[in-house]
Amino acid sequence: MRFVLRRLGFYLLAFWVSVTLNFLLPRFMPGDPVSRMFARSQSRMTPEQITQLRHLFGLDDRPLWQQYLDYLGNVFTGEMGVSISRFPTPVVEVIAGQIGWTVLLGGTALLIAVVIGNLLGILAAWRRGGFLDSMLPPVLVFVGSFPYFWLAMGALYLFGVALGWFPLRHAFSAGSSPDWTGPFVSDVAMHLVLPAVTIVVVSIGGWMLAMRNTMIATNAEDYIVMAEAKGLRPGRIMFRYAARNAMLPAVTSFGMSLGFVVGGALLTEVVFAYPGVGYQLLAAVQGLDYPLMQGIFLTITAAVLLVNFLVDIVYVRLDPRVRVS
Amino acid sequence: MMTRYRPARRAARALALALAGTLALAACGSGGSGGGTDDGASDVPLTIPREDMGTFVRNFNPFSPNVAPMTQQAVYEPMFIYNPADGSTTPWLATEWSASDDGKELTFSLRDGVQWSDGEPLVAQDVVTTFELQKELLGGFDYLDKAEAVDEATVVFHLNRVYSPALYELGQQIIIPDHVWSQVDDPSKEANESPVGTGPYTEVLSFESQSFDLGPNPSYWQPEKQKIPSIRMLAFAGNDGANLAAANGEVDWAPQFIPNIEQAFVAKNPEHNHYWFPPTGAMINWQLNTTKAPYDDVDVRKALSMAIDRQQIVDVAMQGYTYPADCTGLSGGYDTWRDQGLADSCEWTQRDVEAANALLDEAGYARGGDGNRTLKDGSPFTVTISVGSTSSDWLSVAEIITQNLAEVGVQASVDAPDWSAVVAGYEDGSFDSGIVWSNNAPTPYQFYRGAMSTETVKPAGEQTFENYHRFGDEQADALLTEFAATTDLDAQRSIVDELQAEFDAKAPVIPLFPGPEWGAFTDVRFTGWPTEENPYATLSTRAPTTVLVLTTLEPVQG
Repeated sequence: MRFVLRRLGFYLLAFWVSVTLNFLLPRFMPGDPVSRMFARSQSRMTPEQITQLRHLFGLDDRPLWQQYLDYLGNVFTGEMGVSISRFPTPVVEVIAGQIGWTVLLGGTALLIAVVIGNLLGILAAWRRGGFLDSMLPPVLVFVGSFPYFWLAMGALYLFGVALGWFPLRHAFSAGSSPDWTGPFVSDVAMHLVLPAVTIVVVSIGGWMLAMRNTMIATNAEDYIVMAEAKGLRPGRIMFRYAARNAMLPAVTSFGMSLGFVVGGALLTEVVFAYPGVGYQLLAAVQGLDYPLMQGIFLTITAAVLLVNFLVDIVYVRLDPRVRVS
Repeated sequence: MMTRYRPARRAARALALALAGTLALAACGSGGSGGGTDDGASDVPLTIPREDMGTFVRNFNPFSPNVAPMTQQAVYEPMFIYNPADGSTTPWLATEWSASDDGKELTFSLRDGVQWSDGEPLVAQDVVTTFELQKELLGGFDYLDKAEAVDEATVVFHLNRVYSPALYELGQQIIIPDHVWSQVDDPSKEANESPVGTGPYTEVLSFESQSFDLGPNPSYWQPEKQKIPSIRMLAFAGNDGANLAAANGEVDWAPQFIPNIEQAFVAKNPEHNHYWFPPTGAMINWQLNTTKAPYDDVDVRKALSMAIDRQQIVDVAMQGYTYPADCTGLSGGYDTWRDQGLADSCEWTQRDVEAANALLDEAGYARGGDGNRTLKDGSPFTVTISVGSTSSDWLSVAEIITQNLAEVGVQASVDAPDWSAVVAGYEDGSFDSGIVWSNNAPTPYQFYRGAMSTETVKPAGEQTFENYHRFGDEQADALLTEFAATTDLDAQRSIVDELQAEFDAKAPVIPLFPGPEWGAFTDVRFTGWPTEENPYATLSTRAPTTVLVLTTLEPVQG
């Protein structure tokens, strides 16, 4: 229990630091939201309109510390204000409208990559020097080091344009609206394949290599030899004895990645025109949309910290040593 | 102990299987869900991509700076439409307009029989409310005292001074219904999810963040022109996706920039895929910060201009989609105003390296032993050109200028951070030089005002949103005041001639080329597009002329 409380205190401190950075960093960027909007409209607005817009958006000239106090208050009440680049939509609505797709895409891709990557890693390490071990890591690392943008474009052209197997864009077909019917769900799944698979392809190599390496170290442990000497089935030794102990680092990085999922997959969203938080964040940064930026960063921070906290708790369950220390 | 973990392991296995199953299921479903909506030619929507909006927000409030696309084109309409491609004006919600003798009153007669999409008639009060809200929410129109509804169908605008560009600005303002907006508590924050407009496509059939459909207005005043069954907008987070959709023939109208369009788009279907880039956009200038030496010297500006190879800029950087500017500074949209005699005898916009060198020598910027020039205070003559890093075409423009300047002994370098940083430099006057757009309006007044009126000059260090180069000329002020004060077209023409001569003499900015208005289309599903031969509108989807296209297109029969 003390352990959990100590971790909780640490996470609260980390939260405060990131929330403060979150407030300060955007304000160090040059320009302000209205002049950015003006720059993008390339002089289709008059100077009078700009003054008026400033007023409309409620951009304040109050001292920073006062804005900061208000901001802290708003963070804890969940009041994130109104987005500037998507005025007058509230920030909460902008994020809520996108985060579902982001979690679906990021979550699916991450789960597939983790499950398959770890399984491959376990198998490769178990049959060390075998086909899986000598062929797959180089190939996956090779593929994974392609620029994602290029790979995604290539996949889009090959499977979308040339072969026509998968739709080229969006999370579902234009003209349909979300519901829970069979055709719509399969439409969504269909649209998910290319974006998810490209992410899996570039990320799976990392998972496999990491798992393989810890697995090899674990395989050299005495208790594995002991288990073999006892005459246990190889499959049982592989999963129950070796993999279970080799899993710990993978759980940590899975937790980290899970938290970062809510940040969106910007490049995927751009290439496949898939809805999501990543593009919103880019647009918010480009448009100096402080409220939206803060809202998204806050969501990411909260998600990463929350998931890490959960991982810490799971660790207690998985690794008895943590409990003792 | 060990058995306790078995369920978890089973669950993991089940999860993996389920995922694989989903994918397999998805793969099976592909055949059915692909082109479900494309059956029967009569229901095919006119599909238009929007490349700079990753997602749409259901906001049809025309006073919002982030309004959903097509709000100001398909849902609401202006009183008249000015078409920069052929210089014509089409009466729209108003049938005629006139100015009083003193020029301070403008009278618009509204068209008879126009109805809002909820069936209410269009009345003069709608126009009055529009301008009240516009002034209150977005500002502008500072010359307008008030709009007054004289009777149901006549609006009189009372101006506080004679201002001839007012006619176009008032006439092109889109009109909103008084009976709806007078009920709205806070118009600035109203999302206006189901808009009531006079436009041809006002009904929101479906709205998702990645696409939305607009259906025909049931009470439209030109029902015979609503031949498109519906309009479908698609959201894209960048040009690549939108260009792919265009190349693939999935969208009918592609208003975004497509690089190498002949191969990337036209070659995919040469018979049906076409593009037209009329040079009616704003003039693109190389602006020198005239508060800094040596750019305050008109001879330097002209000499640097003469060093530039505009033909190469147009051919290489702009891929031949536009043409070199002349010394009137006027874009292609102002051809009717251009003093052709002056344009034919331009000196400082023609490339002439020898003359440029001679002019710089004469002006006192001597060449050193290494061939590089020095300023009058002895420091080296260097130029920094600021361009936003995302504008690859303008970056090549800046690179070409850099090479050109080396030939006259001036060392130039390109500075390409994010656009916002570039613009911040323009706004506070700390920049050296930059590739900058200019004001673009129906008459050249706004262009010349932004280029050389003292009214728009702010001292360096103070934020400004036009005249970044901070050049003011009293001669031009007098001409601009004169232009604003007369509504007589012949008088306006002779004033613009003088303004052109003044621009030629002072070279406030260095004009490079008129900005092309990007636009491509495929006539597989719809015909009647504007072309160079039939320039009844531009191919822009964000211009006032867009509604002209929407009311002209018709589905291909068969």
